[in-house]
Amino acid sequence: MSSTKSGVAIASALGTVLLLGTVISAHHPISAKFDDKKPQTLSGVVTLVDWRNPHVHIYMNVRSNNDSDNWAIELESPIDLQAGGWTHDSVKAGDAITVSGITARNGSRQLWATKIVMMGTGREVLNITPPSPPALLANRPTPRWPDKQPRLGPSAGGVQGYWAFPSSTVLAEATVNVPPMDQYGLLKNVADAKRVAPFQPWALALYEYRQKRFLQDDPTYLNCKPPGGPRQFELSYGVQFVEDRDRQRIFVLIGGGNNNYRIIYLDGRGHQGQVGGDDDNPLYYGRAVGKWEADSLVVDTRGFNEDFWFTNGGLPHTEQLKLIEKFTRENFDTLKYEVTVDDPGAYTRPWSSSWTMRWVTGQEMPRHLCQENRP
Amino acid sequence: MRSLIIAVAVFAACLTGTLTFAQEGHPLKGSWLGTWGPAKTHPNDIVLVMDWDGKTISGMINPGTDDAPIKNATLNPDGWVVHFEADIKDKSGVLNYAFDGKIENLSFQNRTIVGTWKNQRESGQLKISRQ
Repeated sequence: MSSTKSGVAIASALGTVLLLGTVISAHHPISAKFDDKKPQTLSGVVTLVDWRNPHVHIYMNVRSNNDSDNWAIELESPIDLQAGGWTHDSVKAGDAITVSGITARNGSRQLWATKIVMMGTGREVLNITPPSPPALLANRPTPRWPDKQPRLGPSAGGVQGYWAFPSSTVLAEATVNVPPMDQYGLLKNVADAKRVAPFQPWALALYEYRQKRFLQDDPTYLNCKPPGGPRQFELSYGVQFVEDRDRQRIFVLIGGGNNNYRIIYLDGRGHQGQVGGDDDNPLYYGRAVGKWEADSLVVDTRGFNEDFWFTNGGLPHTEQLKLIEKFTRENFDTLKYEVTVDDPGAYTRPWSSSWTMRWVTGQEMPRHLCQENRP
Repeated sequence: MRSLIIAVAVFAACLTGTLTFAQEGHPLKGSWLGTWGPAKTHPNDIVLVMDWDGKTISGMINPGTDDAPIKNATLNPDGWVVHFEADIKDKSGVLNYAFDGKIENLSFQNRTIVGTWKNQRESGQLKISRQ
């Protein structure tokens, strides 16, 4: 094996090992489908393990009087289960298991598992640890290019990494009184909706409608629509910046985006189409042009389509959406993301929000692949 | 052969860029197709294209040679109630139409508006679905 090939092999193996050690949260709102006020425990025999995105399913026969019913037991994604030490062989067809969890809102025989115990041994096999960012080793300075411009990726010659663990996974106007909501943007109290952003009346009503439906209409999960806008920086699988300084552009690789990427052009171009044929067509990630202002990358993005939700929680937007994003690497391990939303089609005035992301060093970014029409 | 492959690839890339149907923005924006009959004053089928600029709902009934712009269009989010009007030419003159309906299946791309229409001479049912 050549040194190049062996290097690739080692890197791949290392990446795989590190990937298994990555702990990531579930990626779509469980509450959209399951009711946490309906707990249930089932015992039965596994008939099939469906190890696929976005969520793994275990099918099991559960005795009911003189008959048996087949239940679908839903678990985290393969990435998250692997992070918890699972493989597709951890539970196999024929195993007798007891599952505790919450049942589907629609009354179907589906259960979101919170605990699985092997009946033969009493061993608990489901162990998903809540995610936490890696420990800070030291207050390391921002890595820079030779011209002193901050780097958005690893330091020169340094190990690979990516940005994840956003300090906020929801978009709300930066005020002192942001209403409480969960990590998926689901409000604790829908009556607080009007405090999230300066909505136009129709946009507020649509936001409330989506909230009341527990975000079950989210096209990112229903139809694998890309997480354009600020949402790409809210997802648990993170983002990676690849700076192509020769061609004055930055690729943003999106871990939760089905292998999507976004290009930020720094060559002074306008917001014209960047690929032949798309000049006038709105896009999922819009058209982004940026420039460095001191130590911050400021990006102006327009030309979005309306075919996706641009944030967790279902805030509406229109094709008039314009984003001003500011990326500031405050130190080696912290990237501050600031965004101003200017959409006169859906909001009464521009509004802003911000959060930080953490550098996950020495790890390959997990790549989540959506599969359409799977729950 | 190679140029053919490139051409197909470019076409596919262009197609990918164009297939962006608005689904999630303003609920009225888009193309609607359905029926508004039976009536003596107009055909049974209707095509309606609506837009939203942040302040005003605009649109056109049956775009083409016999098109008619809509006016006084409103959307009341409380119940998703829709109203709009249009002046449509008939052999005998201009008829003022008023349309009133309600959006159903709001979260679906092919949501519908179900309601009624009326002009000076007659009235009927309206049912259009977003395309």
